[in-house]
Amino acid sequence: MSDLDKAIAQLRACRPIPEAQVRELCHKARELLIEEGNVVTVAAPVTICGDIHGQFHDLMELFRVGGDPPDTNYLFMGDFVDRGFYSLESFLLLLCLKVRYPDRMTLIRGNHESRQITTVYGFYDECVRKYGSANVWRYCCDVFDYLALGAIVLGASNTLSPPNEHISSEDYADADIEIEVCNADGDIMSRFQRRDNEQRSPNGAGASAGSKTGPPGSGASGSSGGSTGNPTGAVLCVHGGLSPLIDTVDKIRLLDRKQEVPHEGAMCDLLWSDPDEIDGWGLSPRGAGFLFGADIVKVFNHRNDLSLIARAHQLVMEGFKEMFDASIVTVWSAPNYCYRCGNVAAVLELSEGGGGESILARSNGDVGRSDGGMRGVMMESDSAPKNGPARRYRVFQAAPQDSRGMPAKKPVADYFL
Amino acid sequence: MSRPASTTVPATGMGPPGHVTSAQEPYPSPAHLAAATTRHTQGRFTVTTRKLPISKSAPIAQMEARLGIPVPEMIFGDNVVSVAHEPTGWRIEFNAYDALDAVDKTDKNMLQVAYAKSWSASREQTSAGIKEVVKPYDWSYSTTYRGTTAPSPSSSTPSSPDQNTQNTTTTENNTKDIPQLAPVGPAADDPTRPAQQIPLELLKRRDPILFFDDVVLYESELDDNGISMLSVKTRVHEQRMLLLCRLFMRLDHVVARVRDTRVYVDFDTDDVIREYTVKEGSYDDLKKAFRMSGLTPDGVTVALRDGNKVAELLPIIDQTIEHVSLKS
Repeated sequence: MSDLDKAIAQLRACRPIPEAQVRELCHKARELLIEEGNVVTVAAPVTICGDIHGQFHDLMELFRVGGDPPDTNYLFMGDFVDRGFYSLESFLLLLCLKVRYPDRMTLIRGNHESRQITTVYGFYDECVRKYGSANVWRYCCDVFDYLALGAIVLGASNTLSPPNEHISSEDYADADIEIEVCNADGDIMSRFQRRDNEQRSPNGAGASAGSKTGPPGSGASGSSGGSTGNPTGAVLCVHGGLSPLIDTVDKIRLLDRKQEVPHEGAMCDLLWSDPDEIDGWGLSPRGAGFLFGADIVKVFNHRNDLSLIARAHQLVMEGFKEMFDASIVTVWSAPNYCYRCGNVAAVLELSEGGGGESILARSNGDVGRSDGGMRGVMMESDSAPKNGPARRYRVFQAAPQDSRGMPAKKPVADYFL
Repeated sequence: MSRPASTTVPATGMGPPGHVTSAQEPYPSPAHLAAATTRHTQGRFTVTTRKLPISKSAPIAQMEARLGIPVPEMIFGDNVVSVAHEPTGWRIEFNAYDALDAVDKTDKNMLQVAYAKSWSASREQTSAGIKEVVKPYDWSYSTTYRGTTAPSPSSSTPSSPDQNTQNTTTTENNTKDIPQLAPVGPAADDPTRPAQQIPLELLKRRDPILFFDDVVLYESELDDNGISMLSVKTRVHEQRMLLLCRLFMRLDHVVARVRDTRVYVDFDTDDVIREYTVKEGSYDDLKKAFRMSGLTPDGVTVALRDGNKVAELLPIIDQTIEHVSLKS
């Protein structure tokens, strides 16, 4: 067993590894990450995860539900640390897995992977408490600076593979499922077929919402009206969202990312901005930060041959939430957030396009690859959005262990005044 | 993590917490609400608390539509704390909806994050076209809420769907007969002091606590710029009880606020006192005060997160005391 495997085993048991080993790990990780571009290319199949926030036992539950690494490929969209009690173990385990299985583990940066934020929201204190000094925090922050800013998932299929071993692939061939929601045991809770032009209403669900037929958490999916076998567009993964300074994925590639997350500029926006029900761009009432509407997402996706943007950053009670005709989805992977919200979490599974249908070479986020870049995207309202990949959301709850050392459910009586 | 994703989804939601089974269960069931509710009767008063997970997308969408502002990302829309006087039907309740309804929904009291100036300055060249602030409101959720006193038209909200089952006494009573809280004047013998005050000395005694609860109504991380949290604590003793509804808001490098509503009940006399205290100070002053108290820089960081410690050091800006006698 290599040192790295030993470290993985130790961290899986939620025991921190010695400071010297952290130092070595962070050094190796940096050497690896420095070779990655700002936007990492990832081939499906892959399981996309949102915020973890130091909820170690829930991360273990995520691996149980989504499949153990390296058997399952994972893409984590940042915010590994802060808030929870085990930021250190959670981040170091993910980092070990990254170093051990670099092609099967993708980590991108969240707004909490920053010196300034971790000083305020817990990770710094945790490192000092567990090691007696801030050295480990410093090593980790140096790694943060090298984390990629985004990822492009290529080759995602528009059909799903079976969610568990009890269902045969044959049963899946004709289903033409666009969205499937499974519980932690892999049982199907709801399925939504791809809608064709006749606007059939899958499962009879969403009757209260008119013609919209999305699953829980989705703002009505199914505008992607393609037929089985068509290639899907690429999926862009980023922690926060888009930036008015970024109109193509290539512009993300040009940023100088190896620094503390700045308060301004495109890098800041990618990690901080939020989608909202507005037209175009808007300023947050807080005086810093952008909000972007459906039109922005649709133009961006079209221009970059994307079918979907996956992002994290915002707590969603159902674990995932599709917005803007399924052109963007928020994935949230910290169940019972802060040990008291009682929310469920989810991961997004994208299948591999089988039988030569995958489109690895086709969409790589380059501008106008498919249309010569000549047509104005705003004037193409008649052209359908890219056919979205089939999406399986695995929804899970907090691990029972993660209540260890937490504030008891029954509050301790005190003589407050 | 930051604000919750805006919620204009169709009315679907996952099932009750602990069991994700159905796509069509947006609200907790009445049985579920009842199971999460605790009651304690002391003297002629009944104290009720209810604690449930954060609200799902559908109730949030409805709440935001009614309120006209986005709600904090951690919104405990089903949580409630109430104190009811059975003989008269007098009642005070604390719930998230009414608390958020008392948040400024205009741009008049809008704070800005510490780096807003440098942020917008750096944007002038590149994003000049984007100037419109989306939905201005007091996003720090600095509510002036002092509780909902029954009967009042705003008290039947979606945040307490079992209002009727919860307190039948209130609805049966004629609203005109119920005594109301009224401002307390100066004492006859000493005009520098109010006629009624919460007896702190009695509350400092270590009398046995017969009932205690701590209920969060909402919390926001202010996009990782601090915290805004509204919570209600209550402790009941044989002779008296105290309820504290506290707003703790800290906007990093800008300002800290504490707004305390205390409700004191004397079970012998059926006197109720409500005291509302506003405390506020600049972040820098607060930090200085913590340093002066002997804390290390790391200790200050920890203390700034603690509403109790912050409340001790912030200066009082305003205080009002009200009183009602419910003795028949």
